[in-house]
Amino acid sequence: MSTNPLLEQYSSVLKSVEKPGRYIGGEYNRVIKDKDAVKCRFAFCFPDTYEIGMSNLGVRILYEVLNRDPDVWCERVYAPWMDMKEKMEEYSIPLTAIESGDPLDKFDIVAFTLQYELCYTTVLAMMKLAGFPIWAKDRAEDCPLIIGGGPCAFNCEPVAEFFDLINIGEGEEVLLEICRLYNKMKDDGSYTRSAFLREASHIEGVYVPSLYEVDYNPDGTLKEYKPLYPDTPKTIRKRIVADLDNAPYPEKLIMPYIETVHDRITLEVYRGCIRGCRFCQAGMVYRPIREKSPDVLCKTAKCLYENTGYDEISLISLSISDYSGIRELTDKLLSWTDRAHVSLSLPSLRIDSFSEELMKKVSSVRTGGITFAPEAGTQRLRDVINKNVCEEDLMRAVGIAFRGGKSNVKLYFMNGLPTETDEDVVGISDLASRVVKEYYSMPKSDRPRGVSVTISVACFIPKPFTPFQWERQASLEELSEKQALLRSSITDKKIRYSYHDAKGSIIEAVLARGDRKVGKAIAYAVEQGAMLDAWDEYFDYDRWMDAFEKTGVDPSFYTTRGYGLDEVLPWDIIDCGVTKAYLRRERDRAYEGKTTPSCAEHCNGCGANKLGGKNKWCN
Amino acid sequence: MVQLTQNHPHVNLRVKFKKLGSLQYISHLDLVRTMNKIVVRAGLPLWYTEGFNPKPKMTFAAPLSIGTESVAEYMDIKLVDDMPPEEIVRRLNENMTDEMQVLDAYYTDEKLTRLRWLSYRITVNTLGASAELAKKCEELFDRGEVLVAKKAKAGEEPKLFDVKPLVSSISARYDEETGRILIDALLSADPSAFLNPEYVVKALRKEVGILSCPDITRESWSIMRLEGYLEDMSVFR
Repeated sequence: MSTNPLLEQYSSVLKSVEKPGRYIGGEYNRVIKDKDAVKCRFAFCFPDTYEIGMSNLGVRILYEVLNRDPDVWCERVYAPWMDMKEKMEEYSIPLTAIESGDPLDKFDIVAFTLQYELCYTTVLAMMKLAGFPIWAKDRAEDCPLIIGGGPCAFNCEPVAEFFDLINIGEGEEVLLEICRLYNKMKDDGSYTRSAFLREASHIEGVYVPSLYEVDYNPDGTLKEYKPLYPDTPKTIRKRIVADLDNAPYPEKLIMPYIETVHDRITLEVYRGCIRGCRFCQAGMVYRPIREKSPDVLCKTAKCLYENTGYDEISLISLSISDYSGIRELTDKLLSWTDRAHVSLSLPSLRIDSFSEELMKKVSSVRTGGITFAPEAGTQRLRDVINKNVCEEDLMRAVGIAFRGGKSNVKLYFMNGLPTETDEDVVGISDLASRVVKEYYSMPKSDRPRGVSVTISVACFIPKPFTPFQWERQASLEELSEKQALLRSSITDKKIRYSYHDAKGSIIEAVLARGDRKVGKAIAYAVEQGAMLDAWDEYFDYDRWMDAFEKTGVDPSFYTTRGYGLDEVLPWDIIDCGVTKAYLRRERDRAYEGKTTPSCAEHCNGCGANKLGGKNKWCN
Repeated sequence: MVQLTQNHPHVNLRVKFKKLGSLQYISHLDLVRTMNKIVVRAGLPLWYTEGFNPKPKMTFAAPLSIGTESVAEYMDIKLVDDMPPEEIVRRLNENMTDEMQVLDAYYTDEKLTRLRWLSYRITVNTLGASAELAKKCEELFDRGEVLVAKKAKAGEEPKLFDVKPLVSSISARYDEETGRILIDALLSADPSAFLNPEYVVKALRKEVGILSCPDITRESWSIMRLEGYLEDMSVFR
């Protein structure tokens, strides 16, 4: 087996950093191959800590898919924590892959998953630790191909020029096609970096940023994307896996020794969402909905339990209670899980579908508190965002929870939603007060403890491919005022209030809605030491503002400016399935305060059905 | 061995295992979590604790601190069926990586707390290593007392304590072939007076001046726990 240089040469360094278990690998169920026997060495980089990265379902799936190919060896790479990063710089320790311990320049393809916008600085910091030039154009012929993918790829323009190619949509098939093309061109001698990228651009779901010239209008808005060659696609259509029942899913999981964020079996129940919450990017870009059958899921769950020994199975989806086989699935699982001391958790329960039956079935609900997401404080605003949940639903749900012995309720909201008024802001604390009242409406004998209602308030960020993609974001001052107003409107001591830092949301908005010009600012921030920006302790708003100023990027152009309805948007180069016309219709309905029924009730013609995929709803 | 009856619903299995290489960086708490999953995967006839959150019942002797390897880890598991030990060893080893393997398994009702002493091999790769330096290392423990600063909580002044009474024996020699100093130490494993071998390294660093180069990549050390002993110095079982 290969030796990790951290274990041999740098053991004193490992003994001097926090949680060295992050860096050592050696886990049960990891995949070790003979590096001389594979054609393509693939480094799957997660731009955050081991604990976060090991919990990611997408990585688990793609690790499995790639390693099933005997010609490919996929290994994992995680970001070092800041203490380790400093030691790596001080002692010139290269960034290495966890399985083989080899530095990244030994790899053919180095892939980064873009899970959230604030990870972009970590991506670049990792490229630098690996010794790679961060701009794709500066990389030499023998440098590994650096590719990206993941949820943020749907508007990857701010980071587009750091990547050789970007995978748009689900990666199960595309990544293998990329590896196979690479192997074929290496085998037949036709490989050069540029020849490969030109050829790869023909794979559906592959975006090669360097094959487009981007023109801007004098006011800084986009004019057009010009493909460089006749064979370069005008837009890049997202790839999906049509049949999830027959798609590869891991039957084993790498077992981390140290505790990770989601240290349990994660069972992906379906992709997509039948709801159409107008702020939600995931609900749009993962369409069309594709369900797995309860039988396949049960078989997978049993197999994963036997191969891992985990005592918890989490059913993953955007809204678990919308799964048409939820009763059959939970009944089938419970037929053996209780006996095996395995508990079920359903992390994404909708208020309107919360029932006593479900509460009894799942342990996440049996122990601890319970969380619901009304998102807005008044019915008017909930209709604007198409949450399709009313106050009676919430009261019924918390009533069931309280009678079931719960006394801690957490409620998620957003500030800064389009059309939000002071009344909507105060509505949040009013709603929380009525939840407290609901608790005290029970007879005293049924409430052994005091009640605690936590309202957790995030800041709205207009995201690409949502009906709110054109909206302006509230300014830092506006958001601070809203937070202050909400705080002052809370008089009940049973209500606890926590809120997201508005500064982080502003940077996130710039990175989410930015164009290629924003790339310079990200690179500059990284030069100044930015990394792990998703962590409060390392997020530095002033450093970002300085980076924008030094690189001539006006953040307000991407935040408080509403985008013109006829404007060319940075993400117009991507076709995610959902059409602009649909998003526009939904935006108009938002301003009219009209809700839109879910896909289960009525097809709203979002356009994602053109991508195919098996389901019972799309026309 | 106690037979399974209504009053004795479980039997006690002792497992001796090793924890090497990268696993020295896994904390005791994480080892316990890991072992929980291993025994489930291995399909052992586990006895679960009663109550709200049933868990397999496992007890460990002398938790190892981060940075120490071991070929003498001891764990007790309660089982509801007396599966043959050879079968248990086979099943557990199939479910562990080669850095953690079971060395022995047997049924016993003797308590883990009877463990009194543990032997360690400390290997030091320090600048200026020599036979003379090795001798100095050994001689340090000839003194009446050897004071070391105890790990303190943040903001608190570290307290000094005497490690000498917790050291049964210590010997050091210079290995010319590798250029390293090899120290063999027999230290207290008594739960009420447990000595972490890191304190021996700490004492040597402070008093003899080994491992004091500011460039931490130029020096290194490793610690291996070798064997456990009873009060009468017979091998722990």
